[in-house]
Amino acid sequence: MDNQTLLDGLKCILSQEQIDTNYDNLYDAAADRYKKYAKARKVLDVPVPTAIVYPRSVDEVRTLLVYCNENSINVIPRSGKTATEGGLENWKEQTLVIDGKYLNKILNVDLYNMEATVQAGVPLQTLEDEVRKLGCTTGHSPQSKPIAQYGGLVATRSIGQFSTLYGGIEDMVVGLECVFPDGHIARIKNVSRRAGGPDIRHIAIGNEGTLCYITEVTVKLFKFYPENSKFYGYLIQDIDTGIKLLREVMVNGYRPSIARTYSEEDARQHFYHFYKGKSILIFMAEGNREIVNATCAGIEAAVDKFKDGIIEQVDSKLISDWFDHLNWSQQDIDDEVQGMIDNDKHDGFTTEISANWEAIPKIYHNVINRIKSEFPRADDLTMLGGHSSHSYINGTNMYFVYNYNINCAPEDEMRIYHHPLQTIIVEETLKLGGSMCHHHGIGKYRNEWTKEEHGTAYYMLEKLKEAFDPNGIMNFGTIYPQKEGVKYQK
Amino acid sequence: MKIVCLVKFISDVANFLYDYEKNVLVRENVKLILNPDDACALAFALEVKARRPDTFVEIVTMAPASVLPLVEDLLRRNADRAVIISDRLFSGSDTYVTSKIIARYLENTEYDIILTGTHSLDGDTSHVPSQVAELLKMEQMSNIVRVYDESLQGKTVIVEADTDKTISKYEIALPCILSIGKDSKYKLPFVRYKDLELDVNDRVSVIKNENLSFSEAEVGLQGSLTKVKRTFARKLQSKEKTVVCNDEEGIETVYNFLKSKGFV
Repeated sequence: MDNQTLLDGLKCILSQEQIDTNYDNLYDAAADRYKKYAKARKVLDVPVPTAIVYPRSVDEVRTLLVYCNENSINVIPRSGKTATEGGLENWKEQTLVIDGKYLNKILNVDLYNMEATVQAGVPLQTLEDEVRKLGCTTGHSPQSKPIAQYGGLVATRSIGQFSTLYGGIEDMVVGLECVFPDGHIARIKNVSRRAGGPDIRHIAIGNEGTLCYITEVTVKLFKFYPENSKFYGYLIQDIDTGIKLLREVMVNGYRPSIARTYSEEDARQHFYHFYKGKSILIFMAEGNREIVNATCAGIEAAVDKFKDGIIEQVDSKLISDWFDHLNWSQQDIDDEVQGMIDNDKHDGFTTEISANWEAIPKIYHNVINRIKSEFPRADDLTMLGGHSSHSYINGTNMYFVYNYNINCAPEDEMRIYHHPLQTIIVEETLKLGGSMCHHHGIGKYRNEWTKEEHGTAYYMLEKLKEAFDPNGIMNFGTIYPQKEGVKYQK
Repeated sequence: MKIVCLVKFISDVANFLYDYEKNVLVRENVKLILNPDDACALAFALEVKARRPDTFVEIVTMAPASVLPLVEDLLRRNADRAVIISDRLFSGSDTYVTSKIIARYLENTEYDIILTGTHSLDGDTSHVPSQVAELLKMEQMSNIVRVYDESLQGKTVIVEADTDKTISKYEIALPCILSIGKDSKYKLPFVRYKDLELDVNDRVSVIKNENLSFSEAEVGLQGSLTKVKRTFARKLQSKEKTVVCNDEEGIETVYNFLKSKGFV
């Protein structure tokens, strides 16, 4: 099918106003923030999609997917557009981007059952603002909160800054609706829990648009007590001390909404005004007064137990102020793009991994040492460090953060800088049994390790693809490695 | 068209660390870099080549053989050939002797134009380009900020040079030596990813004294008659200081300053 025939076919499904073929918009849709610098400098090396379409109903999504499935047209499901790992990047000459922005209705807010149901294109901030008026919170607060939309958040298994208390998106979603390439609409009902076979929510949650298109989501709500929130901040000896303290709090059963520790280098860029060249540990206790009091006692006991590693406590106001300014806005993203055009530089990159308590400090030091000794452009690094920001009973994550001077052509940046750095991080993580991606998703540039990530369980992942997307039209190259995509990676 | 680019590798003086306790510059482990003005000259040559692929760009440098990796790096940016003039006998040569050595190599080399930088960050005398021109009996112009490359097709070249108070336009007979200044903003292209490991060894030649036939007395310390009476570090222009208050206006000023420098 040629592009004109494809577009003619779309006109039979949607109104003209729902079909976007503006070149600038197609260029923008060709890649996500993974290639932000090359994109800003207008040197993207991937094809632009054929069109972006904006369905207004689940039936339109179904008709579009059936049309693409029957005509072997690659589909990139999109909502929110804040992906960072190439999940929204296009690798096919003929591609339809299906954007959920018109699926923008809050369908139900049920305070008795503590659930809210939204369409895929509802921004998280919109729902959060609505439920805050009712004294509740979604509990979900990724940095992209002002921009991110529910379809994308669920499809990428996102996580927020208060995850230690509220969980990741997978702990919040109670039910959803999704559409498969053959046109089947599946509605997973909203129940508190069930033992009705495998938990099929998890086929859709984290599928990154490779199996189905999520059209509707029901999430939990939580009572919100901002007046009770307490913040703690400490300068500490090193990140190892911070990890030990996080573990102490978690294994004793406490659930602070925020529990984070930063290396000195990473602390410098977040807490330059008080970090004094030291690592940082921060906590936030949130919830009803009794829970907050208990959590504070737990934090203070842990700090006392490891007091030899604590240098000093900092004013809690500094921590709360910092949190108030942590989220991105569209303006922040626009400013960064303009900065990349004007100054040949950007705000750096991150790679997030997870592992158990024992492995995480080893991975951290192995990675830092390897980068310093092996990375050919180590002299260009202006920042290399990390922080742990999401903890669990059995382990935590590590967010490696790196900035560098870009001494190469914009189109070569990822191959020369980010990918070699990410390769070291992934290799060291997998070597010690960790997961190579804690919450950004695999996207298209970590798919070379998908099989290693899952080991013998990759069989199950592969069968899902065969079963739900036998024609391979869903987000070609994301999660599942593809030979044809290697030219964009290597 | 054949363009010869005379370049020099210097210590990365801009990135010297300063030992505040001993009050000295820390010179250990300082990297060599291509002199920034020379980088502009080569950048312009490579721009011409990018527009007219039949252009041949030859890099000529007088340096120890240890600069080879840096020279290879320049060749990977699409220069055609590089010549390293390097001989133990040349060590310690002053600018006049250096000019004689380079000129002798160039006497037997074909070219349509020679490009250099105006200043070097380390010595800063700007002697070599004009002395080489004198020895080769051709015109030379410094502080060039723009070359009208379309004019290179004829018997003359048109350039714009910074003459302190104004930018003046000149027409110069070819062949000649043009010394480019860093205000020209010609920017060296990066080595592309696919060329990072490109083998360019067969495009580098090392010229020794046996090719140039100087006597020992003519070159090196022996042949260098320059007596240095005094050296001094160039004073940096003092920056304008702005003091602001911790108020909306002050915050705006600091924010705009940081933004202009690309920090926010």
